[in-house]
Amino acid sequence: MGKIIVTTSGKGGVGKSTSVANIGTALAMLGKTVVVVDADVGLRNLDIIMGLESRVVYTSMNVIDGECELEKALVTDRRVDNLKLLAASQRNNKTDIQPDQMKEICLQLSETHDFVLVDSPAGIEQGFENASSAANAALIVTTPEVSAVRDADRIIGLLQAKDITDLQLIINRLNPELVKRGDMLNQFDVLDILSINLVGIVPEDTEIVGASNRGLPLIYDGTSGAAGAYRRIARRIDGQDVPIPEFKAGNWLGNLVGKLLGTN
Amino acid sequence: MLQRLIRLLRGNERSSKTAKSRLKLILVQDRLGINEDMMKELQVEITEVLSRHFTLGEQVEIDLQREEQAMALVASIPITGMKDREQ
Repeated sequence: MGKIIVTTSGKGGVGKSTSVANIGTALAMLGKTVVVVDADVGLRNLDIIMGLESRVVYTSMNVIDGECELEKALVTDRRVDNLKLLAASQRNNKTDIQPDQMKEICLQLSETHDFVLVDSPAGIEQGFENASSAANAALIVTTPEVSAVRDADRIIGLLQAKDITDLQLIINRLNPELVKRGDMLNQFDVLDILSINLVGIVPEDTEIVGASNRGLPLIYDGTSGAAGAYRRIARRIDGQDVPIPEFKAGNWLGNLVGKLLGTN
Repeated sequence: MLQRLIRLLRGNERSSKTAKSRLKLILVQDRLGINEDMMKELQVEITEVLSRHFTLGEQVEIDLQREEQAMALVASIPITGMKDREQ
């Protein structure tokens, strides 16, 4: 049985889908069999972030309606064979799928894959209920901002009420310069407030936008901060002991050396 | 540059500190499901109980604060004297 992990945040726009795309790809590159499931029915995004939009023929809705076998609805990634995507229907609403139906799909997928990563829509309504229905672990994505942290706290409460106890936090878009200036919450502030385990910090990275534009998750060949961070997160999810580096605001020389060495 | 100068003059005010303290307060209320009406009601009731035994000043304040892992109800209630015990 594989692990079913829901990725959620409460607040929209904090980088859930980007995180799922990158972590899913990274896990697959570690040799794991991975399915990423877009649970955002009606507003699907994962296919486009992963550059698989032209390959999507069937969606989870077709599987539920009995129009296609689950295996047939899976789209294979362009570069990594052991990475699959189950797309969400763009023409339906979140209430067209029930938690039990989503749960059944995820459980079936977990029988044949090491990891099932479910990308939850923003919000705490039925989309979230569906996405978390089969989860035995959760990745909570937040940014170091008051509104995102508040919503993350709410989501953590809801997940705990569902008896999902394996909760891991990703702090996304941390800007070391702003933290240094005292104008952004740092990781310790966020952890102090949310009191859950930290699985990784993703520094703010301008390369992310280009990666989405191209439909190629940064993780493939990126050397920038976010790519490295997602690779380390994937290894931690895979059970490896990888320390979380400190993100320091650099000077121009340090940044240049880091860039040349591919370490920052 | 100008912003830095202003910050320097104002004594390096850190917005992250403000963010953290605001968040802590918001979350106590979120987590407990307590709203302002409830707090006011609590204040009235606490004052009522205490005023059976003491004469109280006017500046009664109660507040929820987070201390380490637990929430604390912190009350500041000035006492100006004892009520007559004979009654």
